[in-house]
Amino acid sequence: MQGFVDQLIQEGYFSGAPRALVYAAAMLAVAFAVLSFFVAPLAGITSWLERRVWARMQSRVGPNRVGPQGILQWLADGIKNLLKEDIIPATADKWLFALAPYVVFVGFFATFVVIPFAGHLIVADLNIGILYLLAVTSLVVVGILMAGWSSNNKWSLLGGMRSAAQIVSYEIPAGLAVLNIVLIAGTLSMQGIIKNQGWAPWDWYLFYNPFTFVAFFLYFTAALAEGNRTPFDIPEAESELVAGYVTEYSGMRFLFFFFAEWGNLYVIGAVATTLFLGGWQIPAIPYVTESVVLTTLLQFIVFFLKAYLWVFVAMWVRATLPRVRVDQLMSLCWKYMVPLSFVCLLGTAVWMLIWPEGNRVVSFGMFLLGLLILALFFMRVNYQIRHARPELYLKPYV
Amino acid sequence: MEALAGYLKNIVQTVTTIFEGMAITFSHLVRRPMTIQYPDRIEKPVQETLPLRYRGILEVDLDICTGCLACERVCPISCITIGIDTNKETKQRFFSHFDIDICKCMYCGLCAEACPTGSIRHSQEFEGACYNPAGLVRHFVTKPVPLYKPKKGGETDPQMALKVEIGQKYLDEFATPEKSGGAGAEEG
Amino acid sequence: MNETHLDTQDIFRTEDMTISMGPQHPSTHGVLRFIVKTDGEVMREAVPDVGYLHRSIEKIGEKVTWHGFVPYTDRADYLAAMFANQGFCMAAEKLGHVEVTRRGEFCRVIACELNRIASHLISVGTFGQDIGAVTPFLHALRERESINDLMEQICGARLTYNYIRIGGVGYDITRATCDRIAAFLDHFEPIVDEYNRLLSYNKIFIERLAHVAPITLEDALQYNLVGPNLRACGLKWDIRRDIPYSVYPELEFDVPVGLGEKGTLGDCYDRYWVRVREMQESCKILRQCLKMLPDGPAIAKVPRRFKPPAGEVYVRVESARGDMGFYVVSDGSEYPYRVRIRTGSFTAMSIIEKISRGLMVADLIALIASLDVDAPEIDR
Repeated sequence: MQGFVDQLIQEGYFSGAPRALVYAAAMLAVAFAVLSFFVAPLAGITSWLERRVWARMQSRVGPNRVGPQGILQWLADGIKNLLKEDIIPATADKWLFALAPYVVFVGFFATFVVIPFAGHLIVADLNIGILYLLAVTSLVVVGILMAGWSSNNKWSLLGGMRSAAQIVSYEIPAGLAVLNIVLIAGTLSMQGIIKNQGWAPWDWYLFYNPFTFVAFFLYFTAALAEGNRTPFDIPEAESELVAGYVTEYSGMRFLFFFFAEWGNLYVIGAVATTLFLGGWQIPAIPYVTESVVLTTLLQFIVFFLKAYLWVFVAMWVRATLPRVRVDQLMSLCWKYMVPLSFVCLLGTAVWMLIWPEGNRVVSFGMFLLGLLILALFFMRVNYQIRHARPELYLKPYV
Repeated sequence: MEALAGYLKNIVQTVTTIFEGMAITFSHLVRRPMTIQYPDRIEKPVQETLPLRYRGILEVDLDICTGCLACERVCPISCITIGIDTNKETKQRFFSHFDIDICKCMYCGLCAEACPTGSIRHSQEFEGACYNPAGLVRHFVTKPVPLYKPKKGGETDPQMALKVEIGQKYLDEFATPEKSGGAGAEEG
Repeated sequence: MNETHLDTQDIFRTEDMTISMGPQHPSTHGVLRFIVKTDGEVMREAVPDVGYLHRSIEKIGEKVTWHGFVPYTDRADYLAAMFANQGFCMAAEKLGHVEVTRRGEFCRVIACELNRIASHLISVGTFGQDIGAVTPFLHALRERESINDLMEQICGARLTYNYIRIGGVGYDITRATCDRIAAFLDHFEPIVDEYNRLLSYNKIFIERLAHVAPITLEDALQYNLVGPNLRACGLKWDIRRDIPYSVYPELEFDVPVGLGEKGTLGDCYDRYWVRVREMQESCKILRQCLKMLPDGPAIAKVPRRFKPPAGEVYVRVESARGDMGFYVVSDGSEYPYRVRIRTGSFTAMSIIEKISRGLMVADLIALIASLDVDAPEIDR
């Protein structure tokens, strides 16, 4: 990024402008570009896709009217929300109320600084990348707490309180699960972690040893909880708290919360991909990998697909599971996930001691285990489709 | 030890039941949805797919209405109002108005059962939305219509005969289980 | 959780928060209102406030004819309209000494059991919805849609049937409809199993419901719980079996009771599980009825101006929400003198105040859902 701007300055662009100003302008331009051309459509399309996937799992159709298959539904919703009246309750703490959605949004959007898109495509490859990511996502809790408190609504307050307790607790298993990988990779940089893995699944950290395999699921669960997703969506819990901390919000402010929520899904997937699934690693394909542009494109696609797979899984989990209760949420975190992540961390550390370079045989075995689980799963799906339901739908007249 | 077993059992149960549930929801992803995309994306209008017994908006065939007022009397919600006048010169009785307030109607079907000729009946129509509640009052009399008198020995006019037949068919098929002597079969 | 709560209570004396839950709350099944006093997440008490859906059905009963009141009974409990129809018609028949035809009785049982399945599907589905699982709710509604289609074919309406009339049923069930009901049963029985695997056996779901808000049998009897809620407490009491009416004595069916298999006896899971098994029992009853359906008229000869002799009568039917009683007084005129409907949901509401103490806010939702209270039936 910096190198690119330096090159531009050397070539005579921006002549006369102070160097710092050029850097600042470049940063803003990149942020703007990422926001409008990547994050906004991504969050929007995720929202549409979630509704479609959800609907199909429930034997419904979902939004299919705006654009082909309804893919422009998010634009229609966005415009609608922009045109809505912006209501601030009379007794609300107006400053905090107005600020809260942006704090939540910043907490989510700042993560895109360190999220890699491809081998050379990253805003800033910080050497403390993953630590930075864990830190800025904690900013979300401040925003949610502000929203819950400032709305001056009891449901909002309960939602905000729940959210604070939940996010703070689940940072620990998430952090410990991440620590496994940091231990193996020996670096906090996102690109560094990816570079330590290979393109083949048995070179991924997911199958590095049994502990990282468990750690992956721990991380994913904890990340769902941090992102307030079902089964951990208790801060919103529409059947209990009406809408939780967003009860009093309307229009664009309301949209910002959901913008952050849906965008955050991609962040979860991207981090999981970076840490466990080999990131943008692609095998060396003759002719293709010689071109930088083609390589970058292919890497981007691979990374995006891997990340989006987990977005899909998050949607799917949401369509399947009931919500846990607030005390169960805490006991799940402190009694099950935190001890398990410590076990994983310890296991990985011991593993590192025994096989500092990793054990290829075990990795391959873990990979086969993963395939076995997948096969088992599709056997169940097959049973479900072929045997469990003799007849699809009964339609007396149609 | 027992506590540990319970601890592990909890984990295993959680994972396996979630696994099973995910398989079920995934299997639905590849299935056809159930939704009928009313009103525009359907093969044929919903009205045509409804069964004969469907109790939709009431319709009246005034040509075969005898003016017996059975429907007006039996209506529990008084949404039917019938006015019958007599022409002073010809001594012929005719309807001055026959209104059904669709707003009030609760589609119970009692009037259709009470009708001896099957002139008041439920149609398959159910789309009654309009901008003004007054538009929901259906006026069936536009110009004075004489009362129908069943002729002995069957109807001679083929057009009328058809209408009588339709009414009778309605009664036979669903409004009154005729063979069983239903509540509407006779005046008590 | 309750014990630790009580311990800290003495140290930190904090102010209670009063929340008005409802009448516009997503999970209060119609328009209910609870005045909830909470200490954070833990409730001190939840006082139900009923009356938001009162339509004076009982008073209307005094103003319309005997035949004309039947459609109004549909509205008493619109999720299970058939039972109210049957209750009132049975009361009128008892007063007027009308013998119901045999085919009419079977038609009634078929319609009622279909309606019971539909009502329980709603109950079980919204239960999932209230716990946070949305998919089971829509799967349940999908099956209910099939039942609605069947109902439409039987009687021409999807929700407010007005099917059962004094003396029998309004419309005969045709052979084709019988076949479709049989096809529906073939399709539905495996779905209950799928439903169980999706929701009932789910660990999170069980954790949310087991040991939550258990009602002892003593409490249940004192607060006059009925139907599935009472059976979940372990008492085998079903009006269909114990005070038989219609042709139920000729049919074989089991009365599912709560066993406390996942938690304590009479907890939310038991109430849920009793309903799921009742759907399966209803399927059994339906199959028998379809086999036994006799020929003959579907309705007895009843005068249009039905004037039962003066007297009073109380009949009970086993509705989807339990014992539904009709107390009807006749003064020999064309209009009932007094109609009183006793419903299961109303009594179920009264126990919430006692059971809800010390529960969490999320548990209150589960409790309301598990009692299957239905706002129109509470207020009538």
